[in-house]
Order: sequence, then structure tokens, then C-alpha cells
Amino acid sequence: MMDALAHQVLVAVSMGLIGAIAFAGIGLVSGTDETTTLAPLTLLVALLGVPPAGVFTFFMAGAVAKHMTHAIPTALLGIPGDTLAAPLLQQATMLRNLGVPHIALRKMISGAIVAAFVAVPLAVLFAVLLAPFGPSISKAAPWVFLAAAVAIAYFSSGRWASVLLLVPFVLVIVGLQALTGKYGVKLSVSYFLGIAIGPLIADLFSILSPADRAVMRRDRVKTFSLAPDVKGWSGYFPNPLKVLDRQQRNWTVATAAVSSATFVFSPVAMTVVMGELVGSRIKHAYHRLTTVIAARNGVTEATYIAEALIPLIAFGLPLSPVAAGPAAPLFNAPPRFFVDTATGHMNNLHTLMTTWEFLGYGLLSVVLAALIAYPFSMNYAHRAASFVARRLSHEAIIATFAGLIVVISVWEGQLLGFLVIVTIGLLGGLLSRRFGFNTGVQFMGYYAAVLSVPALTKLIA
Amino acid sequence: MKHSALDANEALSPTSVGMTTGVDAQASHLVEVWGDTVDIRHLAWSVALGIGISLGAFFSANYLLALYVHDAAMTRAYAMLVGLAGCLIAGAVCAKLFKPKREVVDQASDTARREEVLDQLAAEAGGLGFVADLPLPVATEMKELGLYDVFLKHEQRIEASKRALDEGFVAANTNTPTSKESS
Repeated sequence: MMDALAHQVLVAVSMGLIGAIAFAGIGLVSGTDETTTLAPLTLLVALLGVPPAGVFTFFMAGAVAKHMTHAIPTALLGIPGDTLAAPLLQQATMLRNLGVPHIALRKMISGAIVAAFVAVPLAVLFAVLLAPFGPSISKAAPWVFLAAAVAIAYFSSGRWASVLLLVPFVLVIVGLQALTGKYGVKLSVSYFLGIAIGPLIADLFSILSPADRAVMRRDRVKTFSLAPDVKGWSGYFPNPLKVLDRQQRNWTVATAAVSSATFVFSPVAMTVVMGELVGSRIKHAYHRLTTVIAARNGVTEATYIAEALIPLIAFGLPLSPVAAGPAAPLFNAPPRFFVDTATGHMNNLHTLMTTWEFLGYGLLSVVLAALIAYPFSMNYAHRAASFVARRLSHEAIIATFAGLIVVISVWEGQLLGFLVIVTIGLLGGLLSRRFGFNTGVQFMGYYAAVLSVPALTKLIA
Repeated sequence: MKHSALDANEALSPTSVGMTTGVDAQASHLVEVWGDTVDIRHLAWSVALGIGISLGAFFSANYLLALYVHDAAMTRAYAMLVGLAGCLIAGAVCAKLFKPKREVVDQASDTARREEVLDQLAAEAGGLGFVADLPLPVATEMKELGLYDVFLKHEQRIEASKRALDEGFVAANTNTPTSKESS
């Protein structure tokens, strides 16, 4: 018994370390979206048969570490480390131009650590409070997903266009599923990855068209200015609690607590809204910059943790933008993890782990991510940012993702998988570019196609 | 078939003329894809290499593992792992072959930029605020960074210009500033 537990913890620690190291590195490469990196690697870990606790800590430690190191390109190069770092860019750039990029970096990362430790227990608490409604929500899942899809679409930048675009988008997915079903191929990961990498696929098509290529032409390379390295503390790394002053700690904790409870909204939207809220309460401009940036990066951590944990613990259904996207393999990694709404049968981390395990391994993940990413960011931020900007070409990143698309789709459905991933990626990428029908809405569209459409047709027939 | 036309153009122009033509030749191939600039020829190669290497790794692993492992699902999962390693190798190869199309300059902030940010901050909804209102730890932090005096001076300047504006309004009642200038 003791041995089994010790073994489980050992697996969890080592998977957490692997996740933290891998994603601390990925966080440095700007433009690597969470969904395109977290989802496939977590899926792989699940499919390789790693025990549930290991899959969970891999994902959590990875996500937390990535949201610390994404502060590095944001603070030092002025380019967002990933989708969630975009709302931090304004404050980061101003602090950089004031000559204190290291302050931006330290405030962001300390905010992230503080928020992560607040978010895990709170998310578990909210999940426990919501759990009694779990069975009824699971029973109503098709309608819940439909309502969530419409709500998330309305709150995207496309507004009503996005809501209406759900219809053709869902129709295309249903059609593609019918087509692949004819040949006995059932796809899910290919849709996710296609949606996540859609903007790249759409750009690659555009570049082949002379008309579009003319628009995409540039006559000079982009210039990035790298902020200098300033070390302002003694010892190996500063105490994150001392980096933030009392007000900043309070605001970070408060916004992290609020964003842990609101798990159905988009993390980017929460980050923006919480930042505005904090900013309006602080009188002095410098203090406002540093407090907003700490609180905002804290919110990116907290929403991520809560949006993954709450649906996982309370429902076992991916009912949030994060759960539907980057955390999807924790719910759905066929043949190992699956959700069958028709029968209500479920086999995923929700059924395989207890609430206490989620709490324990969740905290463990945060500790591991902090141990890896925090000292790294504090000591090597400048060198790492310089290396990535000077040595890692965008072509290399595109090569990696082109390979990723092909390997995953061929692995899942041979040629049909590849055709589907290109189709859905192109469509999604264009809709996102043209109408603001973003990837979060598209993920919900996928779930609506899989879960709500069968229920709808049953209702009409 | 625009590609071949471009290549033909390049073949016609002597490549060893000098720095500028080299830069121009590259500049004519630059495009922005997925948020950053790439050379379109390098892009074509990296997509081809990315697909070729990773798919090659996946299929050969699938074939070889099937000879030794008899669990089909496991074979496929491990083949995917090898395929993903192939993606990373493709990335490394392309990183080696193709240099980034970015210019990275090490740049410390200068006073002009500082002033620009201060003006921006002052124009924001909350305004610049007053250093006198700051809690002690924040004031200490700003002093350590050398920002305390910068903010203080800017704040005083804004106050001074506000006062001047108020006085200007009083003056405007009797004599408009524009007429004063024109006279």
C-alpha cells in the first residue's frame, strides 16, 4: 500500500519535472500558443500509459512553468510569449522604456507564483462546492455545451458574427465526421490541433496565392531591441514575496481568487478585465504599472489552473475554454480516456483521481514549476531571450509545427486525418483572421458538433 | 510558377556585387508568416524538411517497432513519440540551416524614451499621480531604481504647465494668446 503510494508520488514528481523543464523552455519561444504545445504533449503522455497522477502533474507543472517563462520575451523583447501574455505587453513595454525591464520581469513572475499557490486550493474548493450539481450537469451536457458555445462566441471579438458562424463551422465538422466515419476513422485530436494551428495553415495557403503574397511581403527584417540585464539582489534568487509590496500581494491574491471562481470565461478576457480593475484603484502611475503587471500575470496562472481543475474535479467534462483546448487530453484521449455522453459513461482523470489527489498533486506541480522556472527566469532571462531571438529562426519553429501537424494527423487517421486537419485548420484560421471567430470558440464548436448535434437531431426527429 | 521567375531573376543578377544587393536579394523574398518575417525560399524548405523528417521518423519507427512489439496500440504511441522527436530534429536542422530574419539590438533606455512613457502615463485615465502619495516601500523601490526623481520632475512640470494654462485662461479673457502671437 505504502509502496504503491510512494511509486505514484515518484512518477508524479518525475513527470512534473519533465513538464516543468520542457515548458519552461517552450515559454521562451514567443508565438508558441498554449494549445498547440500543451495539448499534443499531454496527449502523448496519456497515450504512453503514464499513471493518472503523472499525466496530471505533467500538464499542471508544464502550464504553470510556461506562464512564468512567457514573461521573459514579454519583458525583455517586447513580444508576447504566448496568447495569454498579450495583455501584459503594454505595461511590460512601458516599464522597459522606463529602463527597468527587470522589474517588469520580477513582478510578473512573483505574481505568477503567488497566484498559483492561491489558485490550486481555491479551485479545488470551488470544484467541491459545484460537485453536487455534477450529475445533473453531465445529464444536460449537450445543452450546457451548446449554451457555453454561444456564450463564448458572443464574448469573442467577433460578437454576433461568431455566434452565427458556429452554424456553418459545426456543419463542416459534422460533415467531415460523417465522411471519415464511412471509412471507419474516428478523429478528435486532429480537430483540436487543426484548430490550434489554423492561423499557420491559413498563412501557408495565403503565401501560395500571388494576390495574398503581395500583401504579406516585407521589405525589411523586423527589429527587436533587447533590454539590458540588471541584477538587483544578492544570492541566487530573490524572495518572490519581497519582490511584491503589500498592496501588490493583496491585489494579486484577490484577483487570483476571483479568477479561480470564474472558470467559464476566456483567460485572456479575465486577464484584461482584472488588470483594468486593479489599475483603476491605484493612484500613482509607476505603482499602477507594476501592480497591474503582477496581478495580470497572476490572473493568467490562476485562470489556467482553475479552468483546468474545476471541470476536471466537479464534472469530468471539458466545460471551460482551457479544458476544451490545452487541457482536453485530460478529459479525452481515446482510447485511454473518453467521455460518452450518450451513455453517461466516463473514464478520465475525473474518475481516476480523488479530490485530495487533485489538491496534493496540484500543489506539487506548482512547487515543481516554481523550483524550475523561477530561479531560471531570475538568473538566465537575458541570456535565454538573446539566444532565442538571435539563434532560433522562425523557419525552424514553422518546420517543427509543420511536422507536428502531419505526424499527429497521420497517426490518428492516416491520409484522412491529414486531409481533415488541413481542412479544419484552413477554415478555422481564415474565420479567425477575418471575423475574430477565435480558437476558443472553435473548440466549443467542435464540442457542440460532437455532443449537442446528436441531441438536437434526436429532438427534431 | 512565380517561384521560377524569381529564381531566374536572381540568377541574372550577379550575387557577388556587394552587401547592398545581397540584402536586396534577401529583402525581395521576405514575407510575414504567423507573426514573424521569414524568407519565402527558406520557408518552403523548412515546411518540406519538417514534414519529411518527422513523417519519415514516424513511419520507420512504426515499421521497426511492429517487428518487436506486438501490442499495436503501444507501437503506434511510441511511433508517435519518435515522430515528435522527428519534429524537434527538423526544427534543429532548420535552425542550423536558416538564420533568423530579425535584427536584435541591445538597447538601454534613454531619456527621450522615458519622457515619452511619462507623457503616455500622464495622458492615461488615472494620470501620473503624486510621488508624495506613494507608500514608503514603493517610494524606496523607485529611489533605488533612480525613477523617483524622474517622476517627481515630470509631475512638477505638469503642475507648472497646468498653472500656466490656468493663468493663460485668465489672460485669455482680456487678450487671446493667438492675437498676442500674431501681433
